[in-house]
Amino acid sequence: MDALFQAIYSGILYGSVYGLMALGLTLIWGSLRMLNLAHGSLYLVGGYLAWTIIDRLQLPLVLAFLLAVAGAALVGLILQVALINPLLGKAGWDSASLIATVGASIVLESGALLIYGPQVKQMPTVVEGQFKISTVLISNQALVVIATAVLFLILMSVFLRTSRHGLAIRAISQNMDAARLAGVPARRAFLIVMCISAALAGLAGVLLSSIFYLAPTSGFVPMVKALVVTIFGGLGSVKGTIWAAYTIGLLEAMLQVYLGAGWALPGLFLFMIVMLVVRPNGLFGLGEVRRL
Amino acid sequence: MLQVSDLQAGYGGSQVLHSISLHVQTGEAVVILGPNGHGKTTLLRAISGLIQPTGGHIELDGRAITRLEPEAIVAAGVVHIPQGDLLFPEMTVLENLLMGAYRSDAWGARNKKLEQVFDLFPPLAGRKRQLARSLSGGERRMLALGRGLMGKARIFMIDEPSLGLAPLVIEQVYETIREIRRTGLSILLVEENANHIAGLADRVYLLEAGTLVREGTADELLQDEALLAAYLG
Repeated sequence: MDALFQAIYSGILYGSVYGLMALGLTLIWGSLRMLNLAHGSLYLVGGYLAWTIIDRLQLPLVLAFLLAVAGAALVGLILQVALINPLLGKAGWDSASLIATVGASIVLESGALLIYGPQVKQMPTVVEGQFKISTVLISNQALVVIATAVLFLILMSVFLRTSRHGLAIRAISQNMDAARLAGVPARRAFLIVMCISAALAGLAGVLLSSIFYLAPTSGFVPMVKALVVTIFGGLGSVKGTIWAAYTIGLLEAMLQVYLGAGWALPGLFLFMIVMLVVRPNGLFGLGEVRRL
Repeated sequence: MLQVSDLQAGYGGSQVLHSISLHVQTGEAVVILGPNGHGKTTLLRAISGLIQPTGGHIELDGRAITRLEPEAIVAAGVVHIPQGDLLFPEMTVLENLLMGAYRSDAWGARNKKLEQVFDLFPPLAGRKRQLARSLSGGERRMLALGRGLMGKARIFMIDEPSLGLAPLVIEQVYETIREIRRTGLSILLVEENANHIAGLADRVYLLEAGTLVREGTADELLQDEALLAAYLG
């Protein structure tokens, strides 16, 4: 029973953060039809910025949080303007954008290595205190992380459902021509999506690295897991992505608790392969039209 | 108000439109009749900017709109209801309609416009919360037209509204288009079947192989059955 409770607790924690990461990936896929392999580096930007501001500059927590997320959004903006925009509308978009984002991720990770070195960084505990339910140790910091992530998932969902720009972002992902005929300026929408997506990755970086450690390679595994989530949820589907994030988070936590930590990643990939065979369009994928 | 001169366009090297010149006056309903595959859809797509014309000139009220981005052409007041409706399938009917009022100059009036659209298309009002992909063919066509009416259209370009619909539904759709026309909106419509456009068109062009071969008032051209049979089969 305690094992199950432990798995649910960890699963909700992972799921909330994966949800933020995966939502960013899926929004980019929806609008640009691009797999952004620099997404993990944007996670890194958020994490390192937060660490620098809290640990080195000793500035207040809220400021660190805001600056780190804004910093990731800014890096996303630069990526879009300098790297992605010049490729838009050119032949070979699929492979060119993929290679460009891999390149960007190498630059950003190497930059982190140069600036911060290979040593692992640990964020100071910003929210003190922990308590036990039976044998399961729950830290207040993790609860704050979960609450923040869930708050932003809800905010994103409301934004995408009710606001003018949110509707436009969904419209672009469902039918580009129709969205343009409604007057949505495609390039500006891409820029907005990239900034939001980068901010979400940065936010995930701030949140998760406040619990785990931070190293120049830390962005990779969360990105891969977010990728599993988006494939499971049906690429481009917002609702599917959020459901999938919690499913994958719980699955990972179950694997860790019942089979051991070493099983988490191979288990997830096995799950993804099975998914791709039995439901290639994902949990909420509704066929070709929906996916693309 | 809309003036197209010597327009040429095509897809990747193969030319579809050869020197198209036409005009639509304010408040006028102009229909382009032509068989399938002769460039009707290409013509509307070139005007609305979805494809780049390779030559020629398009003006709206004397202002050049040739080769602008589609969003800038919409901003000028050219609203294109494309073939196949092009809805947002995973958005509700209401969300689809709201997207029609996306532009900031239309967003403020969205609730008033919604009422007008629901008055014009009562079936949509009952399906507000339903996903667009769950609608019937006729309802989709209504939604596409309704979405176009949510913005600030000055000229309404409609691509073959009869396509794929049952005869009775076609009659309903054309009745609404005639109603839209009575509000004074300028209309440029392309159609394959001459029977549908009686009572709607002021002027008619015949399009064949990417060229406008005849022009005349609806009264003249639609009476000439031999001519129509020769071109439309």
